[in-house]
Amino acid sequence: MYFQDLILTLQKHWADQGCIVTQSYDLEVGAGTMAPYTFLHALGPEPWNVAYVQPSRRPADGRFGENPNRLFQHHQFQVILKPAPKNVQELYLESLRKIGMDPMEHDIRFVEDDWESPTLGAWGLGWEVWCDGMEVTQFTYFQQCGGFDCRPVAAELTYGLERLTTYLQNVESVYDIEWVKGVKYREVFHANEVEMSKYALHESDPQMLFALFDAYEKECKRLIERHLPLPAYDYALKCSHAFNLLDARGAISVTERANFIKRVRDNARLCAEGYLQMRERLGFPLTKTPWTVGEQPPVLEGKPASDYWKTVTLNKPVEKKEKTDKTEVARGA
Amino acid sequence: MARDLLLEIGAEEIPASFIVPALEDLKRVLAERMADARLKHGDVRTFGTPRRLAVLVRDVADAGEDVTKEVLGPSAKAAFDAQGKPTKAAEKFAEGLKLSVEALGRTTTAKGEYVSARVEEKGRPADAILQDALHTAVHGINFRKSMRWGDVDTAFARPVQWLVALLGDTELPVVLGDVKSGRTTYGHRFLAPGPILLKAPTDYESALEKAHVLADIGKRRAALVQKVTAAAKKAGGQLLEDEGLVDQVTNLVELPSPVVGSFDERHLDLPPEVLVQEMKSHQRYFSLLDGQGKLLPKFIAVSNTPVRDEQLSLRGYERVLRARLADGRFFFDEDRKTPLGDRVEKLGRVMWQNQLGTYLEKVERFRSLAGWLAQHADRAGEAATVERAATLSKADLVTGMVGEFPELQGVMGREYARASGEPDAVALAISEHYLPRGAEDALPTQDAGALIGLADRLDSLCGIFAIGKAPSGAADPFALRRSCLAIIRIVLGRGYRFSLSAAVDEALRLLAPKLANVKRKPGEAAPREQVLEFFRGRLKALWGEQHRTDVVEAVLAVGFDDLVAAKKRLEALSPLVGHSDFQPLAAAFKRVVNIVEKQGKDVAGGQTNPQRFTDEPERNLHTAFTQARDKVGQHVRADDFAGALREITGLKPAVDTFFDKVMVMAEDKDLRENRIRFLTEIGALFNQVADFSKIQAEVAAAAA
Repeated sequence: MYFQDLILTLQKHWADQGCIVTQSYDLEVGAGTMAPYTFLHALGPEPWNVAYVQPSRRPADGRFGENPNRLFQHHQFQVILKPAPKNVQELYLESLRKIGMDPMEHDIRFVEDDWESPTLGAWGLGWEVWCDGMEVTQFTYFQQCGGFDCRPVAAELTYGLERLTTYLQNVESVYDIEWVKGVKYREVFHANEVEMSKYALHESDPQMLFALFDAYEKECKRLIERHLPLPAYDYALKCSHAFNLLDARGAISVTERANFIKRVRDNARLCAEGYLQMRERLGFPLTKTPWTVGEQPPVLEGKPASDYWKTVTLNKPVEKKEKTDKTEVARGA
Repeated sequence: MARDLLLEIGAEEIPASFIVPALEDLKRVLAERMADARLKHGDVRTFGTPRRLAVLVRDVADAGEDVTKEVLGPSAKAAFDAQGKPTKAAEKFAEGLKLSVEALGRTTTAKGEYVSARVEEKGRPADAILQDALHTAVHGINFRKSMRWGDVDTAFARPVQWLVALLGDTELPVVLGDVKSGRTTYGHRFLAPGPILLKAPTDYESALEKAHVLADIGKRRAALVQKVTAAAKKAGGQLLEDEGLVDQVTNLVELPSPVVGSFDERHLDLPPEVLVQEMKSHQRYFSLLDGQGKLLPKFIAVSNTPVRDEQLSLRGYERVLRARLADGRFFFDEDRKTPLGDRVEKLGRVMWQNQLGTYLEKVERFRSLAGWLAQHADRAGEAATVERAATLSKADLVTGMVGEFPELQGVMGREYARASGEPDAVALAISEHYLPRGAEDALPTQDAGALIGLADRLDSLCGIFAIGKAPSGAADPFALRRSCLAIIRIVLGRGYRFSLSAAVDEALRLLAPKLANVKRKPGEAAPREQVLEFFRGRLKALWGEQHRTDVVEAVLAVGFDDLVAAKKRLEALSPLVGHSDFQPLAAAFKRVVNIVEKQGKDVAGGQTNPQRFTDEPERNLHTAFTQARDKVGQHVRADDFAGALREITGLKPAVDTFFDKVMVMAEDKDLRENRIRFLTEIGALFNQVADFSKIQAEVAAAAA
């Protein structure tokens, strides 16, 4: 199966289940999780079912095109299903069958994996899915995002496309993957790997990146104040990428590192809160649609988890006013 | 008629390490609930795989047993007035129990007389009891980490997919999140995906076996071991034993199917520990050995599915290992380009503990302490090896390999030290300073590693206690209990004779610059005392496993500064305590101690003056005592505590006669004080071995 056919097959499979197929988010991100289609939409009570390819930049993993498995940029096929369908594992296994991984021919296993992203204030539980001992997918039930509980819980499926294809095509190096007949991954991306690795590991300008980090962070906070969580989140992502570049360059010391991670996480938290406030102001419009994927059995004990959003008020004008007063007092003092 | 009970929780793949504890929870809660409801039952069995947790209870009675209980009401005084008529309180009590006041009785307790009533409690029907019990059980499992799923507010290890609750052939209603119980279970995910209707609880195990699931953990483990061993034999090797890995793999599969794969022979020049770790840590492959115990370039992977074509899935298993070994080789080659000694400086950038500083600072402290220990434990000859090995002992923490496989710390230090041309003794000490890693692990085989290990652990222990982060309850993030036990085992195992308190003082002296700003909570003991008390606690627990705790306490009470001597004192005393003549000796000693404790405070110190004795028995005792004291001294110096105890025991007749004939509390002050001083000296002689007053006479008598 060609690299391209793998993508098309997965897209078709998830589209058939009722997912929206969006295009890759157009900013530098380290993982499909960071695209707003995942990070923001995993929040709140609204349904959300989406599949997309996300080019993911990991500056520290750049190996100048010399390592057969590690890349500055790889591609993730990302699926978000919210609420997670009862038969999500079956839907997923069906996608494996469609790309030629028959569970009667391969040892397909769900192996415990706890996922946590300190920069996103997010965590979840799930598995690495193994095919004959190889990790082919990250399967996570989101529990928290940006410090907020995920109610309902979204299932995230992240297929590592290059890794899957090297296995399907039985080649040792990602560069030997056939993208389409006659064109190899090497021809498409090798030069990109060489140059991007050189840039990230040797050529980037830390002074500029530190300045950009500060500026992006400031802009993110300003936009939050202006009640514009979506552009604010773009700046949060830029901030995160600047941090990744600095980290890859070895420009951040061990002691500073934790502090930078906290700054990135704080941005993500503010955006998550701003996004939830915005959706609440809009009346959580997607809850009024009948959009679901897979089996969605009724809750039989207690209240549905998503009822939580009916009981909390995210926009708290009264409190906010008090806060402003306090700030003014502080400034006056 | 008794019926069997089956509870099965079907879930998406539960982490392997959660399964056994979860089954213990389920079993315990069910058993407790049935006991509370007086519901009799037979054998209880559990079953568990990654996809199911189940309990089978045989022969459950139809109902709980009836009982008659006595219920206490208000006190008799409050319940009856002066005329003996029942008061409002009595009436209310009777009314609450739906009885007439006349039916009330009286019961006398330790607190006085109370109104009482006999109430008959009917046992509830089994269905009702179990419905509640199953609900509590399925909601009462404590997973280390749990999660919500879908739109459900309930949490479990992973999403729950089905529930089976059968009492005989009847379904019991249980609900968990978005699942309700029935009689349908499922077999192997791929080999038997369809629903299986269970007729009766006892069909469970065989129905699943037909559906390619070995549900009994013990049986599945045995099948795994048998299959893997056979596969190893067929491949011309033998299994590298690893009980932990067997346990883990058992709970990663429902049906174990081993496949044998191989890797490139050229990787065999990597240290065997690296190869084993590469195969085990991520992949959970078993390693194979040849007849000489050398690694073969082969492995066994355990599949959950007996696949159609092994060769096809082997392609994957071998491929992953190939990539991992390539990584391992890369680290091994890269790491060896830098001499280990050159890495030491880099430890200055790795934090050990925020308040106590970097690894470099820690290394400098414990290197100095290890030198001190070498001097004081009479191993000065090792000083040079200790110095060099201590310097290098943590340098492998900043290598690529240990970054990838933290379990290989020490092993890589040893390999890289050899590669850097360090003497073999130094290389060995680097790896051995981590020994013992646990209670069952071997001790260092040479002094340098042992002394460095002691110093490293003493530094951790003293440092962490000094900053107020001592272990509390189950929280012991620095594993100080294990460190402390390791220190004790090393000192005893290698027979080191040094003063523990002096070593603690030295460790704290070296830590002093880091502790300048630490404020102690008011009333908190000094770190030195806390650390020594911690040792006392560990010693009590360790020695209490084989000796009576009161005897251990008696030995510890007179000190454990020289751990080796303390152990010998215990071993000399412990067998004596059971003897019939020991109890009178302990009693005699107790008389001595009682008098000294009561009267000793008012008596000025100083030596006994034999000239002041007036009675024959005290002169006799003094003569016997003086001779015994010299001999006890000789025995103690020779570590012969059994001999010392024999001398002490020999004094008993003279002590008895003394107490029978001599009036210690004489009118004459001088006379009296002289006698008390004498008894104090006798007490001190006994104390050379143990504080006999700590030994419980009753227990000693019972043992005799």
